[in-house]
Amino acid sequence: MDATPMSEALTPRDYKSDIKPVWCPGCGDYSVLGSITTALAELQLPPEDVAVVSGIGCSSRIPAYANTYGFHGVHGRSLALGTGLKVARPELTVIVASGDGDGFSIGGNHFLHACRRNIDLTYIVMDNRVYGMTKGQPSPTTEPDWAESALAPGGTGLRPFHPLVIALASGASFVARAFSGDLLGTAALIAEAIQHEGFSFVEILSPCVTFRPDEREWRKQVHPSPVEPTDDPARAARRIMTDDGFNTGILFSGERSAYAPARPEGPVVEPAYFEAEFAV
Amino acid sequence: MNEPKKITVEQMLARAFAIEREAQARYADLADQMLVHNNQELAELFGKLAEIEGKHATKIKQRAAGAELPYISPLAYRWPGSEAPENVDISVAHYLMTPHHALKMALAGEQRAVDYFEDMAKVAADGAAKALAEEFVEEEREHVALVKAWLAKYPEPPAGWDEDDDPPMLQE
Amino acid sequence: MTTSATERTSVVLAINGSGGAGAITAGSMLLKAAARAGLYGLLTRAVGPQIRGGEAVAILRLATAPVECAADRCDLQIAIDWMNADRFAAELNLGPESLVIGDAAAEEVPEAIAESGARIEALPIAELAKSVKGGRPNMVALGIAAAAIGLPAEALEAEIVETLSSKGEAAIEASKAALAAGMEAASGIDFAAKLTPPDKKEKRWIISGNEAAGLGAIRGGVRFVAAYPITPATEILEWMSPALVKAGGSLVQAEDELASINMIIGASYGGVPALTATSGPGLALMLESVGLAIASEVPVVIVDVMRGGPSTGIPTKSEQSDLNMALNGCHGDAPHIVVAPTSVADCLFTTQWAVHLAEAMQVPTIVLSDQFLGQAKAVIDRPADVAFIANRKVETAPAEGYRRYAITADGVSPMTVPGIAGGQYTADGLEHNPRGTPSTAAGDHASQLDKRADKLTKFDYGQHWAEIDGDGPLAVITWGSSTAPAREAIEIARAQGIDVKLVALRLLAPSRPDAFAEALKGVERALVVEQTHSGQFLRHLRAEYDLPGEITHLCRPGPLNFRAQDVLAAIKEAK
Repeated sequence: MDATPMSEALTPRDYKSDIKPVWCPGCGDYSVLGSITTALAELQLPPEDVAVVSGIGCSSRIPAYANTYGFHGVHGRSLALGTGLKVARPELTVIVASGDGDGFSIGGNHFLHACRRNIDLTYIVMDNRVYGMTKGQPSPTTEPDWAESALAPGGTGLRPFHPLVIALASGASFVARAFSGDLLGTAALIAEAIQHEGFSFVEILSPCVTFRPDEREWRKQVHPSPVEPTDDPARAARRIMTDDGFNTGILFSGERSAYAPARPEGPVVEPAYFEAEFAV
Repeated sequence: MNEPKKITVEQMLARAFAIEREAQARYADLADQMLVHNNQELAELFGKLAEIEGKHATKIKQRAAGAELPYISPLAYRWPGSEAPENVDISVAHYLMTPHHALKMALAGEQRAVDYFEDMAKVAADGAAKALAEEFVEEEREHVALVKAWLAKYPEPPAGWDEDDDPPMLQE
Repeated sequence: MTTSATERTSVVLAINGSGGAGAITAGSMLLKAAARAGLYGLLTRAVGPQIRGGEAVAILRLATAPVECAADRCDLQIAIDWMNADRFAAELNLGPESLVIGDAAAEEVPEAIAESGARIEALPIAELAKSVKGGRPNMVALGIAAAAIGLPAEALEAEIVETLSSKGEAAIEASKAALAAGMEAASGIDFAAKLTPPDKKEKRWIISGNEAAGLGAIRGGVRFVAAYPITPATEILEWMSPALVKAGGSLVQAEDELASINMIIGASYGGVPALTATSGPGLALMLESVGLAIASEVPVVIVDVMRGGPSTGIPTKSEQSDLNMALNGCHGDAPHIVVAPTSVADCLFTTQWAVHLAEAMQVPTIVLSDQFLGQAKAVIDRPADVAFIANRKVETAPAEGYRRYAITADGVSPMTVPGIAGGQYTADGLEHNPRGTPSTAAGDHASQLDKRADKLTKFDYGQHWAEIDGDGPLAVITWGSSTAPAREAIEIARAQGIDVKLVALRLLAPSRPDAFAEALKGVERALVVEQTHSGQFLRHLRAEYDLPGEITHLCRPGPLNFRAQDVLAAIKEAK
């Protein structure tokens, strides 16, 4: 840590763009941006070799605020965008950023298959258990009795979706939970996730101070996971299913090989090579 | 916190510099947030705090007298709290917040800095490093006093300061 | 067959069978043997709804010159059996001049076939196959077909050796013997058709439109494909998957079409030319993200191999009814490119051109192929090499303050790709300013809309926007797979002294009103030919172009493709 001279090091600030975020002050996503830029500085990755890809929602505004390459796509498809980019350009560091609505509702299918493919990218979901951009409707992770939305008076009555367990069941090889209020702790998890080879999923509890002011209380509820990460998905799933939902840290880290597209056996051929197949 | 047992003058300067530079960045972020949310008074206040921290950082760099300070990685070097001592907590920010709230945040940060350098003085490698830590303690105490005086001009606003007469806006 | 055979320029043969009889295999072998002998041809097939064991027919049109569409009538049908064969009656179009050879031991000829008035003969196909150890009826049928058009046994034997090489010597010998038995049995039947291959033997290919599209894509520079399997586009993916690996690219089988389109947008954003292939239902799912590629100016190519619609429609049959969706399916004002191949061989050129257009203008390009073009296998002359390749304007050394969506004279802004230092930007589906920052300002919206429209209209498409041929007061205006029957009908009409001009649009969007007006100079009447129910193409023409006063409309939905006689009749009506 002390080895790099200050004049040569990239600092978190170097990974921030000059575009000012539109998030509400107090929003956890500000800290997540800080965590991402801190993790990138920690790894000293050249900003031009990093791409942050997102969908739609408050959290998905994040690419423009980073001084990396970015893609702000359509609702729910960020993992597909990121997958295409990573397969086409495997040398890049690809971070996909999403929210609970974008990632688990409209984009749910891509979540399953990205985990299953175990492609080497980092998936950060800022979970605030509410749709913020559309003024506060329940999301797949909202508690069944949260009754503040006109869309679901009296609450949804539905069990919340359990993204970490679903990630495990679908084959993700790195699963972590973080809390935005712990900027450096979250940054450390993101740095680990980036370095992990394979699909790494970091669910960040990120309070929505506007539509879920109750989430300011999360600060008092979160605590580091009392046990070391496991490489046994069944054990990890059991722990996650039975914990209080506020355990933070790496909850599972396995060694399944990451998705690797087939490579040519010999030298790369020119298009003319394929003509022989059709010639009579 | 992975603090070496004995820290040198150079390391002490590097830590002090990191504290001020990070605090400057944090205040600048908050100034931007307030600017975007049309809270001009707070944008100016946070801007001013950022400027002050920036001056502190510059002063420390000058103290180093051209010596190349080591880079304090925010992750490899874990601060005693959750972040560098003078980093105020952005999660308590509010778009309608008043100078009272901002200065209270700042006061807490300065107090943490005092505590931090008091701890550093105990692990200084030599007399020079110890003297430097003590000097920083003194300086941070002065900052605490300054912020306190500043805060006195802004009593706590009555309840309801965070009331907004408009509904939230639909975006995407 | 008999020596009374007359010289023909085109003969249509069909071999049908069921339950794994191998009719399609026999048809493919015959096509290849005919091509080796110097003939041209086109192989289409029709199948029942079963995955395995269903009824199938291979329809071969063999000819002394290139052929690109179904012939008017089937000359010879060889039925290995009659199971559900009436299902194919409409496709085959038998008539009194046709000959149908069935198995002597088989049940009665289906009514739909008997009613055609075709001459029906019987040969002991099954029995002949049984007479050879390991002999199979499809090889007997192949022998009959070869004898019918005068192909020598050696040509077929070479094909047997190649096709059955993995099955061992015994299988090869058995097939050869069954082939010989079929040829021998056919000698007693009178069939008046003989094809003499042309002397000149240019280098020939056998290729399907789907394979041609895949090869065109790779020639154009595509090195990333993501797609979801769908009939009738899957063969593009199956061909491209191993080919891309060899060419240093890759193919990802996506979880759905929403993923496919976004994966290719991601890859192309990374600087790698990318393509997906699908059919109508898949394109419908993709359209939201086509809008994203338009707004964020990321080039991608989408090949839609059209099938009957709406909904699941008729997945195994052709129709031109995705035109409306391809042209107008996006929300917002969303200029993009739509092109369509005019023949099986043209699937190669048009797809390659599509890659070039997409990359040059940083815009999604939809290629409207269809089931007929995609799945037909044609014997063609080796397609010419064309220079169109992906040539994206990339800013490799961005200056301070680089603006990704800068307004430029031609509307195309140099783009950076990840890895280029100082070129970082965020591509966005939100409206943005020249730098890429989201903006709701009226001025930014107007200037970015202008830019995205201008870059398409200012581009020089050269002569490739349409195939224009001949002259006359009547023009046949058509597109896609309706082009070949129109072309053939026009040739017949000319031979009969009727001058007709062909205008087949390859570029469907953006419209070229000036070029179109120039092409129609002197034309007094037009016959518009399209394979839809609602007249999508004519509506499009009326909206975008000035048409001559008198319009005749030959408009029919799938699944049957037009035949030259259909168009000829319409030409005579319009004359």
